[in-house]
Amino acid sequence: MPSTVVHAGFALLLAAGLLGDDYDRRALAVLLVAVVLPEVDSFLGPIMSGAHRTVGHTLVVPAVVALALYYDTRVRERSAVRARIADRWVAVAWVVLFVHVFAHVALDWTHLDGVNLLWPLRDQFFALDGELFVSTADGVVQTFVDVRVDPKTGTRQIDPGGTGTTETVHIDNPVEPRDPEAEIEEPVDRRFPVANAGWRLYLIGLGLFALVARRVQGDGPEAER
Amino acid sequence: MAPTLVDAALGALVAAALLGPAFDRRSVAVVVAAAVVPDLDAVASLAVPGATNALGHTLLIPLAAGVVLYWDTAVRASSRLRARAGWRGVRVAWVALASFVVAGIGSDLFAGAGANLLYPLQDAYYVVDGRFVFSTQEGVVQTFVAAGGEGPGILPFESPGTTATYPIETWVNPDGRPGISIEVDREAHLVRSGWQLVVVAVAAATLGVRTLVGARIDEAIGVVETDEGTEVDR
Repeated sequence: MPSTVVHAGFALLLAAGLLGDDYDRRALAVLLVAVVLPEVDSFLGPIMSGAHRTVGHTLVVPAVVALALYYDTRVRERSAVRARIADRWVAVAWVVLFVHVFAHVALDWTHLDGVNLLWPLRDQFFALDGELFVSTADGVVQTFVDVRVDPKTGTRQIDPGGTGTTETVHIDNPVEPRDPEAEIEEPVDRRFPVANAGWRLYLIGLGLFALVARRVQGDGPEAER
Repeated sequence: MAPTLVDAALGALVAAALLGPAFDRRSVAVVVAAAVVPDLDAVASLAVPGATNALGHTLLIPLAAGVVLYWDTAVRASSRLRARAGWRGVRVAWVALASFVVAGIGSDLFAGAGANLLYPLQDAYYVVDGRFVFSTQEGVVQTFVAAGGEGPGILPFESPGTTATYPIETWVNPDGRPGISIEVDREAHLVRSGWQLVVVAVAAATLGVRTLVGARIDEAIGVVETDEGTEVDR
């Protein structure tokens, strides 16, 4: 995984942009818990093959939660959620969902063998990798989604970066540092990455910068007078 | 350089995070522009040898701008900027400066071809790339900061070279050297990798959400946007 620290850094940046008046220590604490929580699926690895990046990283969970939240707070006459928690926490919940999808699942999607996006509806890991450029020779080129047209039959094959299923894919994590099926005669090395590339350190730095800048700057035109 | 589109997206995220009450279409445009401005040095490289990621990516420009801005808004008895553009102008100026450094220069330093941070005082590109890992076998592994390494730079980061030895290729200037060549293949990258695509998507989504939510709040409190802001509400 890009480490949880990277997710947290990116999450802080996004939260500063989205929380608005709800931006405070308690909301950020809830957000950080939501960032760490999906990684718990690492611990399911010993019980279930390929659990990491599957159970906690599927898009099905945030989709269901979003639908339920929308139905309860907007469609229903009396909202069970609003009866229990203040309106501001409903707003925070939406931000948490946004951050989970973009700062956690989407970033993991771009890393190693990706994430099992549609589990349990479909057991298939997807990895998002490629580039997009405009070239004077070839026009617009993108290599994220592989589209192939069979010259004989004319049928089109689209490969959005599928890498395998829970049976075949294992993503190394501190709980299971290597594929349990591989037999290697080496001492187990558990690695807890903070940042494994410059851009990951950059995202951590961006989050900390946003955090500090928000503390330093004033609240608004009234506070300055 | 990191693709300019990615710089713009990072600038938009900085704008959303830091503008606060000054957030609107115009201020976001200013902050995003500030993130893109450093990349214009690629155009200058057609005339000035090795200007790419040097002329616009030196920290001296934002440092000078920061000193002037601080002097005007905090030290001087009456601020010229505040008198002309009010609280809003001061906020937008600071956030634009932050965007210039963090999104414009930072993205190239950490995730691009490198930035010539002290140009022209000292000519050396820097790249901050490496790993920082806790390993049960190797302990703490850290390769971002390399103190006392060889290379032209005095800052403790990896340096790929100087303006003379390290030409940076861009779509504006495919060979990184002065002079315009017409008959070359140019490639303008929009995104170079998966995470950059995510950054662009998330910036678009953030601006979309902010615009929608802002419009709903305006509707709720009865603000009507007009082209002439000075018109008195009757």
